[in-house]
Formats: sequence, C-alpha cells, structure tokens
Amino acid sequence: MTTEPIIQMRDIAKHFGPVIALNGVSFDIRPGECHCLLGDNGAGKSTFIKTMAGVHKPTSGEILFGGQQMHFDSPRDAMEAGIATVYQDLAMIPLMSVTRNFWMGREPIRKVGPFKFMDFKTANDVTMAEMRKMGINLRSPDQAVGTLSGGERQTVAIARAVHFGAKVLILDEPTSALGVRQTANVLSTIDRVRKTGIGIVFITHNVRHAMAVGDRFTVLNRGKTLGTAARGEITPEALQDLMAGGQEMAALEGSLGGTV
Amino acid sequence: MSNTGATVDERIKETSKLRKALIRPELGAIVGTVAVFAFFIVFAGDSGMFNPQGVLNWSTVSAQFMIIAVGACMLMIAGEFDLSVGSMIGFAGMSIAIISVTLGWPVWVAILLTFALCIAIGALNGIIVVRTGLPSFIVTLAFLFILRGFTIFFPQLIERRTIIGGISEAAAGDWLAPLFGGKVGGAFFVWLGDLGVIEVFSRGTRAGQPVVDGIPMLIIWALGLVIVAHIILTRTQFGNWIFAAGGDAQAARYVGVPVNRVKIQMFMFTAFCACVFATCQVIEFGSAGADRGLLKEFEAIIAVVIGGALLTGGYGSVVGAALGALIFGVVQQGLFFAGVESSLFRVFLGVILLFAVILNTYIRRIITGER
Amino acid sequence: MKKVMKTLTVAAVAATAMVSANAAMAEGERYILVSHAPDSDSWWNTIKNGLALGGEQMGVSVEYRNPPTGDLADMARIIEQAAASAPDGIITTLADFDVLSGPIRNAVDSGIEVIIINSGTPEQAREVGALMYVGQPEYDAGFAAGQRAAGDGVSSFLCVNHYIAQPASTERCQGFADGLGVELGNQMIDSGQDPSEIQNRVMAYLNANPDTDAVLTLGPTSADPTIMALDQMGLAGDIYFGTFDLGGDIVQAIRDGVIEWGIDQQPFLQAYLPVVVLTNYHRFGVLPGNNINSGPGFVTADALDLVADLAGEYR
Ligand SMILES: Nc1ncnc2c1ncn2[C@@H]1O[C@H](COP(=O)(O)OP(=O)(O)OP(=O)(O)O)[C@@H](O)[C@H]1O
Ligand SMILES: [Mg+2]
Repeated sequence: MTTEPIIQMRDIAKHFGPVIALNGVSFDIRPGECHCLLGDNGAGKSTFIKTMAGVHKPTSGEILFGGQQMHFDSPRDAMEAGIATVYQDLAMIPLMSVTRNFWMGREPIRKVGPFKFMDFKTANDVTMAEMRKMGINLRSPDQAVGTLSGGERQTVAIARAVHFGAKVLILDEPTSALGVRQTANVLSTIDRVRKTGIGIVFITHNVRHAMAVGDRFTVLNRGKTLGTAARGEITPEALQDLMAGGQEMAALEGSLGGTV
Repeated sequence: MSNTGATVDERIKETSKLRKALIRPELGAIVGTVAVFAFFIVFAGDSGMFNPQGVLNWSTVSAQFMIIAVGACMLMIAGEFDLSVGSMIGFAGMSIAIISVTLGWPVWVAILLTFALCIAIGALNGIIVVRTGLPSFIVTLAFLFILRGFTIFFPQLIERRTIIGGISEAAAGDWLAPLFGGKVGGAFFVWLGDLGVIEVFSRGTRAGQPVVDGIPMLIIWALGLVIVAHIILTRTQFGNWIFAAGGDAQAARYVGVPVNRVKIQMFMFTAFCACVFATCQVIEFGSAGADRGLLKEFEAIIAVVIGGALLTGGYGSVVGAALGALIFGVVQQGLFFAGVESSLFRVFLGVILLFAVILNTYIRRIITGER
Repeated sequence: MKKVMKTLTVAAVAATAMVSANAAMAEGERYILVSHAPDSDSWWNTIKNGLALGGEQMGVSVEYRNPPTGDLADMARIIEQAAASAPDGIITTLADFDVLSGPIRNAVDSGIEVIIINSGTPEQAREVGALMYVGQPEYDAGFAAGQRAAGDGVSSFLCVNHYIAQPASTERCQGFADGLGVELGNQMIDSGQDPSEIQNRVMAYLNANPDTDAVLTLGPTSADPTIMALDQMGLAGDIYFGTFDLGGDIVQAIRDGVIEWGIDQQPFLQAYLPVVVLTNYHRFGVLPGNNINSGPGFVTADALDLVADLAGEYR
C-alpha cells in the first residue's frame, strides 16, 4: 500500500433530522484496489457512498480528493471530478437503446453549419467497442437496454463509467439481484477494471462475492465503522460475524446447525 | 473467471426483419393510417371527400390536431402531461383579441405578447410540477380551470361579451398575421383552376376563382413543427435528454441530465404549440371566443397515444403522433362524408384508441423483453 | 395481435352497415343542417325532428351536424366540410358572424343555396349571400319580454345564462334589461350547463339578492334547474319567472303558475320551413319574398294544451 489514496473520507457523519444514519465513518480508496464496503441492512452503506458521490452533503467530517479538501454540490460535480456511481436499479433506462443509455448526459456532438446534432455513428461505434472490451457482444447498438440481462446492464453502466474516465467507481450492490453466472461476469468485469488503475468501492451483503475480488474490507454497523482489514488478514467467517454484530450470529448459527 | 473475449450468446434467436419492423413506435399509426384511408376510399370515394375542397378540409382539421399533438407528444415522452392545452388555446386567442381589438395595439404586438405570456404560463406549469413533485395531471388540471375562467372573465369584464371580433380588420396590413392566417401557393391553384383541374366558384364576388385558393399557413406550421420536433427528438443531444427525462428521471439525473430544465422546456414547447394553434385560428376566423379549444387537450393526447407514445413516458415518436392526428382528422371528417351519424364518431374514436393502446402495450413488451 | 385485428374487422363491418343504412335514404335533393349546439343541448331535438319531418314530407334527404363541444371554430370546419360534399342546400345558424361568414360565403359562391336560421340577424344573412333568414331576432324578443315584464311591475331581475359564450344569449338578457329600462349590470350570471350547478348558483344569487323581482332563463337547460331552485327556496309562483324557449318541464311549470310565460321561437319552423322553402325553390323556382320570423310567440297558461302535448318533440 504505497500509493496515495484518491479519496479520503474522514469522520463522516450524516443526520436526517432525528435519524443518525452515519456517525463518524472513515474510509479511503486507492488506485487499482477494490475496497469492499459491507454491512447489514440499514447500516448506512448507501448513505455513505451517496455522500461520496455528491448526492448528500455530510453533516460533519471532511472529504479529501487527491489530498485536497473537496465539497461536492451535486452528483455532476463528483462525476466531473472522476467519481462514477452505478446504482442497482437506477442505472439504465430500459426503453432506450444501449447507445442512448451509454452516452446519456454526455452525448457526442456533430456540427452541421450552425446546428448541433448527436453523432450517432461515433456513439454506436464506441459503444460496441467498449462493450466488446467488457466481454459482451451486442446484437446491435439500437437494442433496447430492456432486452439485456441484469448483469449485462450492470456491465453497460460500468463500461460507461470507465469510458468517461472515472478514477473511482462506486458499485452499490451490483450483484444482489443476479444469478451465479451473471454474478461471475460482473465480478470479472470488476477485476478487469481494477487492473486499469481505477479504484473500486464495492458494496455487497455477500461475503463470498467480497472475498472474490476485494483487496480491503470495511464493515459498517449502525452508522459506525467496525474496522478495516486487508485481504488475508481476515477469514470469511470473521467477516460474516462482524457484519451481523458477532454475538447474535454465532447464536443463530448454532440454532441453525451451522448452515448459514 | 478470466474472460476469453466476447462470444455470441447462443440463446438469442436471430430476430426476423418483420419483428424488427414491428418494434417502432409509429407502426400502429402507419397501419391505422392505411386502414383509415382504405376504408374511406371504399365508402366515401365519390362523396367529395377526395376532391380538392374535401382534401383541404380534412387536411386542415388534421393539421390543427397535429400542431397540438406535436407539443403533447414531446411532453409525454419527457414524462409529463398538459391538460391545460385546450384552455390555453382559448386563453391565447382571447389575449390576442383583447390586446389588438380592445386595446387597439398592432396585431403583431398582440401576437408576440401572447406568445410570451403563454410560454411563461407553460414554464410556470413546468416549474410547479418539477418543484413540488406533484403529478403534472393535477397541476395542469388546475390550469385548465384557471385559464378557462380568465378567458370568460376578462372579455366579459372589459367588453361585456364572450366573443370578441374585429381581428380581421385589425390584422389588415399587419406583417406578422399572414404568417399564421395566410395561404401559400395561391398562383399555383389559380393555374390549376384555369386548367380545369380543380373547380372554380360559379358565382358571387369570387366567381372564376378556384374553390381552393392556397394552402393555409396552419398546414405549413403543422408540417414544420413535425419536422423540427422529429429531428430534435431523434437526432440531437437534447432529444436524448427528453427520452431520458421521461424514461427514468432519477437515472437521468444521476448521469447529469438536467431533467428539470428539460421538463420545463417541454411544458413551454407545449404552450408554444397551443399558442400557434390559437393564433392561426384567431387570424383565420377574425374572432376569439371563450369556448374555443374545449377538450382539445384530450384530442391531442389521443392523437399522441394512437401515434405509439407510452402514457408513462420515455417512448414515442413525433411522426407517429402526426399520423395519429391525421387519423383523428380523417376519421372525424370522413365519417361525415361516408354519411355516418356524427354521434358515432365517438364510438369510432374509442375503438381506435383502444386498439392503439393494446398494440402499443404489445410493442413495448417486445422492446423491454418483459412478458 | 390477431384478436385486435378481429376487433377492428367487427368495427368496420358495423360501420359498413350504418353507412349503407344511411345511403339508402338518399334520393332527391340533399340538405344539411348545421347547428352551433353542443351534443348536450337537448333543445335542438325539436329542430332535428322538424328537419326529419320536412325531409320525409318533401321526399328529400336531410342531415344534421353540430360541433360536439359547441366550439364555433369546429362548426366553421363542419360548414366547409358540408360544402365540400356538394349538397343542394345548407341550413345553418350564424352564431358568430366573424367565424362563420367566410365558410358560408364560400359555400354560397360554389353554388350551394344557404338559409340562415335561429342565430344571427336578417342583415347578416343577406351579407353572407343567404337566400333568407328564419328565426327570432334575439334582442327584439328580449326587449318585448322586458316591456311585458315592466308592465307587470318588475324592476329588477336575474338572467340565468347557461351559454355565455354565445353572443345571442347575452343579447336576450341585454334586450330584456333594456325593455325593463334598467342596467344589465351584474344581473346576468354565467350558470354553466350542469343542472345542479345551475340550481345552486340561482339559489346563491337569490339568497344574496333577496329583493330580486324576476328570473329570466334562456332555455330548458337553465329553466329546469331554476324551477327546482325556486321550489326549494319556496319562491315558486311567488317570484316573477319568464323563460325563453319551451320544454316539458317548462310547460308544466307554466301550467302550475310557476312560470308566467315562455317565449316560443318555434324552432320546429326553423328547421321545417327551410327544407320546404329550399325544395320548392329547387323544384319550381319559387321563393317567399321576405325573411320569416318564427317567433317570438308568448306561451301562457291560457293556450297550453297543444304545446303540452308536443313539448320537446315538435314544440
Ligand atoms: N433520505 C433519508 N431520510 C431519512 N432517513 C434516511 C434517509 N436515507 C437513509 N436513511 C436512514 O439511514 C439509515 C441507513 O440507510 P442506508 O440506505 O444507508 O442503509 P444500507 O446500509 O444501504 O442498507 P441496505 O443494505 O438495506 O441497502 C437507515 O436507517 C435509513 O432509514
Ligand atoms: Mg443500500
């Protein structure tokens, strides 16, 4: 771990009125690593990454980007700085074509006299090429995203983030709704992207998925960090226990005969 | 898990050309247009429906529908409705009449001020919708009443009447009015009349002139709006944003599409279209009435839906909406030529609407792959 | 998909049946009557019946057309469309001169005979080149009614206007006010077309203005709910009540003494006579030398039986 972190989040707290969603969370992400964020439902994972992505403003704490203090006023600011986020359900628009989705918000422009048109030829070619790099062969760039599988949709979103020069890629539960094969595809995509030097924040409930690609693991519980461990420093069982708050899980495990 | 590169998924069947052609929003409207014309050529072919006057008649009515359908279509694709279109038509007409006749200002000033006013009201509609997050259905329903109320109130207050005439006199010699109420191609039609291709008036002050003396600007406006809107929607960045705003506003926001701005601009465009409709009508007929434009908002929405747009937004076609308007106009006028009792128009309309919606649902299922 | 096609086929077949049923009646001259009334206005039933009877007796084919919502711009298109179908004659109302004069003049100029009925004035009819005008001059009718009411000691009134967008409606109220010799001012209300709304607005007005002497309604649409309003307020028979036009409930109310008089413009004649006039003009070239005033006739409790029998049908 010699490289400097791209983003450092220090003592982040976030309150929604009376609800304390985050209560002092610290976290950092370095280039080319996959940092897994684990935790039970309601632990505050989504809230935390939304703070990183500029959707929420932290109640207190600071965000350092490349060593500099940063304030993101909107998701757009964060995106411009190189933080791309892929949300499980809100990533893609099913009725629109893959190309239109891929370029949404940053369409290539072709000028004809005073008029600006969208450059569909470039857009289609780049989309096809980027998707091929991720290991997906599209029938046609006009294909509606609705006809893609869940894993393929995630891949389009990831490919989009990578293409637009993300330095940090945040994936919020990208595998939660996927079957075995599709999960494998997404995990291999994560692996491929990490090798290009992009830092990845990977949120999941599933310890096995985390173990497959993670370099470091941070566990959140009730808005607080329980700790960060590097790969090899912690066993899957220990991680599982941490997530569920240790004690109860052990008890439950006993009563279920060690099946969990 | 190291991937060996892209492989073709063996589970995807080659899609047939036919199925691919089916997956277009306009398909239903194209089929409908052909069916409707076939029907009327058979049943009203010799009734005058397809003589120059008859053609002009249903083209003009269709063009009227088209103008408001284009606005409604863009707005619906952006995920919103505007129920205040009909009231806006009445309001805009009355505004032109009051400014030009009652206040005595030049007609071009009246037209420009009215456009500014209508577009501002459109923006207000949009701002309220995006700021409050209320369904546009409710917000614009409120404006349906507000605008209609003003349209009745002001002329009564000022002129003690609900119809204000005299705009033709006021518009004589105006430079802007002919852009809305004029006709083009007059010389061409005179020539056709002289050749005997089209009939000429047999008596009166216009004896010898052709019965059709030009293409109304209304039709030019309709075609112009359809072409421009179609290009914007399918060929530009902004068009992509319109689809995105209606397809999934949140997803679009996450990637930086200015969804609110897009929606507000679409509300303004819809208001603009309503204002074009009203201006053409007022300049052509020379008067504004408090009951103009009643129920036009639904007619626009029906045309758009027949044209293949989804009521839920994110999908549709301007060309489809234009064809929907054509079907609407041709059926409405054609039933008369075919000698069908006019009250049955509504029955036809209902059947066509149902047919279109069912077809559209089917098409959407193919697109999204849902079952 | 198949099912949908089937639905469409059925619809097409049904339409075909209706088309042929209609076409079978077409023999002799063809006349089209265009009105400005929305579908909801039931008063026009008498016109439809008069038209049908005229067509039957003269052996000509007749059609009735109206803009479904009462939008006069739509009516202009209907007249254009009627002209394009080249009938022998068009019978139309002239509800708004600005909007309708162009299309009517075009019809006249392309060789179609036009008779103006019901709305508009004889002068306007002449101006658009119509053969004649058959109807009741609205302002004059209102004025006559106003004078009559003044003679009965009325000095303030409420005009229930259910069709505020129609200038003729306002003229009736204005004529009545001038006949009384008072300002119209705020004595006219826009009641809308919905019966319970009309009823409640009338009650609200009369509650707010308890010293109103008289009520004037402009047709069954506003008269029927007004009768109910007066019933409910206990003013029926007490307040002076006159109305334009007749209908089933109006006739009953005249009999009951709730309504003093009804101004009958005899709409039957407005549809029936033009058909007769046009047919005779086309067949024998004969034409009455003047416009025909179909009204006003005041219907009071005295001569009510025939009216009562045929109210809403031919009266
Ligand atoms: N906008 C909000 N307003 C109020 N409370 C919120 C808001 N967003 C999140 N919370 C609360 O903050 C807490 C953390 O929620 P968060 O969505 O971050 O959990 P999570 O770890 O992502 O859970 P999951 O695994 O189920 O996705 C929850 O108690 C939630 O109810
Ligand atoms: Mg979450």
